[in-house]
Amino acid sequence: MYALQLATAGLAIGSVYALIAIGVVLIYKCSGVVNFAQGAFVMLGAYFTYAITRLGLTPVIAVFLSTVLMAVAGAATERLVLRPMLKAPVVAIMMVTLGVLIFLRAVALAVWGPDQIAFPKLFPDGAIEIFGIFITYNYLTAGSLSICLALAFLAFYRFTAIGLMQRCTADNSRAALAIGIHTSNQISLAWSMSAGLAGLGGTLLATLNGLSLGLSDIGLIAFPVIVLGGLTSLAGAVVAGLLLGVLQAFTDGLVTPMLEGFLRAYTTIYSVGALQQVLPYALLILVLLVRPQGIFGWRGSERL
Amino acid sequence: MSGTRLWITFLVAAAACVLALMLGRFGAYLMHAVVIASISALALNLLTGFCGQISFAQAALLGVGAYTAGNLGNAGWGILSIPVAGMASAASSALIGLPALRLRGLYFAIATLAAQFIFDYAFKILDPLTHGVSGLLIKPLTILGYVVQSDQAYAVIAIICLFVTWLTMVFIGETTLGRAFLVVRENEIVAKGMGIDVARTKLWAFVISGFFAGVAGALLAFTTRLASPEAFGLSLSIDYVAMIIVGGLGSLPGSLLGAAFVTLLPELIQRVGEALNIADILSAAREMAFGLLIIVFLIFEPRGLSALLHRLASRSQTNIALKTPQPTSERRRSELGLKLEKVE
Amino acid sequence: MKRVIKSTIVGLGLLVAWVATPALSADLSVCIWGTITGPDALVNGMSYGTRDYFEFLNQTKGGIGGNKVQILLLDGRYKLDEELKNYRRCVDQENSVYVNGWSTGSVKALREQIQQDAVPFMTESFASEALDPVKLPYIFMAGPTYEQQMIIALRDLATKGGKTLIIMHPDNEYGRGPVNVVRTSGIIEKLGLNLVDTIEFPYDTQDLTAQMLRVKSKNPDLVYVQASTPQLIVVLRDAAKVGMSAKTFVGNIYNISPAIPQQLGESAEGFRAIQVYSDFGSDIPAMKDILAFKAKNKVEKEDVYYMKGWFKGIVMSKAIEAAIAKNGGTVPSDIKAFRTSVRDQMVALKDVDVGGITPAASYADHQGSTRARVAEIKGGKYVAIGDWINAR
Repeated sequence: MYALQLATAGLAIGSVYALIAIGVVLIYKCSGVVNFAQGAFVMLGAYFTYAITRLGLTPVIAVFLSTVLMAVAGAATERLVLRPMLKAPVVAIMMVTLGVLIFLRAVALAVWGPDQIAFPKLFPDGAIEIFGIFITYNYLTAGSLSICLALAFLAFYRFTAIGLMQRCTADNSRAALAIGIHTSNQISLAWSMSAGLAGLGGTLLATLNGLSLGLSDIGLIAFPVIVLGGLTSLAGAVVAGLLLGVLQAFTDGLVTPMLEGFLRAYTTIYSVGALQQVLPYALLILVLLVRPQGIFGWRGSERL
Repeated sequence: MSGTRLWITFLVAAAACVLALMLGRFGAYLMHAVVIASISALALNLLTGFCGQISFAQAALLGVGAYTAGNLGNAGWGILSIPVAGMASAASSALIGLPALRLRGLYFAIATLAAQFIFDYAFKILDPLTHGVSGLLIKPLTILGYVVQSDQAYAVIAIICLFVTWLTMVFIGETTLGRAFLVVRENEIVAKGMGIDVARTKLWAFVISGFFAGVAGALLAFTTRLASPEAFGLSLSIDYVAMIIVGGLGSLPGSLLGAAFVTLLPELIQRVGEALNIADILSAAREMAFGLLIIVFLIFEPRGLSALLHRLASRSQTNIALKTPQPTSERRRSELGLKLEKVE
Repeated sequence: MKRVIKSTIVGLGLLVAWVATPALSADLSVCIWGTITGPDALVNGMSYGTRDYFEFLNQTKGGIGGNKVQILLLDGRYKLDEELKNYRRCVDQENSVYVNGWSTGSVKALREQIQQDAVPFMTESFASEALDPVKLPYIFMAGPTYEQQMIIALRDLATKGGKTLIIMHPDNEYGRGPVNVVRTSGIIEKLGLNLVDTIEFPYDTQDLTAQMLRVKSKNPDLVYVQASTPQLIVVLRDAAKVGMSAKTFVGNIYNISPAIPQQLGESAEGFRAIQVYSDFGSDIPAMKDILAFKAKNKVEKEDVYYMKGWFKGIVMSKAIEAAIAKNGGTVPSDIKAFRTSVRDQMVALKDVDVGGITPAASYADHQGSTRARVAEIKGGKYVAIGDWINAR
């Protein structure tokens, strides 16, 4: 029962991770870039929603507008920052996205200040009990919305014409160019969709965890997720996101108390600290050593 | 390195020491902060700029050096704490580097990111060695029984260490190993074809880079007198990556410039803000400037400050035709770092 | 290339020289640093409050003893190296007579230097390691230590018949230190309480749902949270997520903030915290001064931490005033003698009226006031329940 409760909480937050991770994988597939600034997009999406509701518009419109704004921001980032660096080595591009992360965090700091802010209520208060598991409406809606969006996006990618063009560009941009696909537009599109997803994820995350600059840290948590799932697999990102959410919940709820009980009984070490933060990274190293392409990726997917 | 060059470097170091002794405490503090950052930047530059292995784990290595030196210093090892701390960091660096032998580029970068977090966690957990989150209180450095208390003295010690680090880097650049680094950076397959043992070369880069990171960490330990996990987190690693980008990857003077720039920028902005009375958004301004610098430098001047200054200097001299053409065209920008900057 | 190197060195040298030159220091300088931007910026009212009090003195009384106070507020960003740098600037460049630092880590790292420099140092920290009238004669704080605050809460629980206790704290010094001290002191058992679990979480956490589930499964009578407001907001929010009432939770002095009821609304009702200072807006003489100041200046934060800041300003200025008076009404020209004199006068402060922010303060024990009371969130506001309890 307790375990089930943990699993539910884990799945709910995991689906938001999944949404954010999809964005990173999307960009990677299309342009071979790991977007370190994804966390900043998550954070900005939440802040935009907040700012728009402050102007008096309803939450639904606010979420919609903020997603649109984020899509624009994503495309803008691609055009202004990534486009000029087309020929640069991967490592330099990674660092430039890091610069974007730092810059956007600073902008948020300047506009909204360093403190936490009350996020507008998007979902009704209260909770329900299903089969003895207590879950708030907030959790339920955020979780299910995320997973629906993620699946919807996967479907879009797989079954629509634009999705096909995206996949072509991702697979081999020169060949795609040869058959008439406007690859640079596709890349911009990938960036805007990714930023839009991130913004949505940010808004949902803010309903669960509140609004603060700390939202951008989620970008760092995304990396173990992505490597686990495979840098080139969207489905892998979703699965890995859910897995990671559950893993963190179980670490916090079960592993840590067990370990601490053991340590306190036999040694002088009193606590294991933030185990749930380091476990994904330890897992990451393991995966990189044993199966670098992740669970769902395929070999040869390391773009150099 | 020619005799004259050696003399000039020595004189510059001596002049810096004299300056350090004349400054007040605040000035000396800034000075040794910059010098220590330079040592670490040079170390990272060896790894990333010369050998092409990007690393986000620099702060972890500094931490290892700091904790080692702190514990040894408290136990009375005196000046020996510094080189031993260097060795501890070198070992840790090799540990981080071992997986690198299998991974490349992006994956390796992410692996170093993971290593940074894991070391961070270790610092917090290994209470007996690190005092966990309370931090390790460190007694001042003792050299042959004499207790070093003043910031000025620490600045001089740091300058001496920087001098040694610099000479080592220049020396390495002129050996076979140094050239092997460059080839490995450009293209590992070609390196193998040339008969270079890529794995060993990379490992050497990690070990040497780690050693000097440890030295910098040791100096940090004695100057801040407290080693805590919070001081050696990811943001410090990112600071160092920024330093070598801004300074110019692969450039030795660039590392010093980058270190000075990134370390002094917050103070500069603080003073400007005080003068103009815009204290509110100062912190945000500092971070914005930082992020923008990274972006702008990478897009427009990947070779960093040193190349920028080079171009300004060559523009101010009329004999441009006599200088080797500086490659700035789109095509050549694909090679980050380019050739090893000649130390003149 | 030589020209390049030469000009860069000259440029950098000028930069260092500009930054390193001691300012044309005023006669009377007080230097404060706090987290203006950083993880615990939410409570930086304590820095603003002190600065504002000295500004208030400058505006209404022309300073202290007729001398204008030059007050400098720096951003420590909750980073040790920034704080150390600020300390050196305050002591060396600004030649301040009183320095107000922020974090526990910085006061520990600076202990010996403060002793050597013989400069009166007021810290925001309430850590017991910073409190030692004998070994650390120059360091002062502004209230009961974290341990004392916890003991007040535990005493309260014991008298109400509670039995089971859980303690939650972040994984930094501020969290672990006091909790370890209380835990190993045996006082929990002495009060007849049973500590069933201690939970540590990352200090920058955004999500504590699993931890709250763990707490819920143990069903404690009281959960004491040794954390700052940002973390407490996460605690209470996630407690609500799993269906736990805020009534079970008690926080320390850093958990009285309008942000908590503001951001959590209903989920914060019933939460209690240790209150050392009267809240902003309460009916006390000091509020009149503050409102007068507010009429002409911008007040950055209007919360209980601002009141702490104002309190510190009052006691610090009283010590400086006494030192100037002792010197025949003029500011001593020898900064070292001035600092020692201020320190002596600080310790001599007895039963000082601080405008109702706390009961009368005495600094022989370097703490000012060791009394606190419990405040509960009722209807979105903190309401004091019960009397001032002395921690000793």
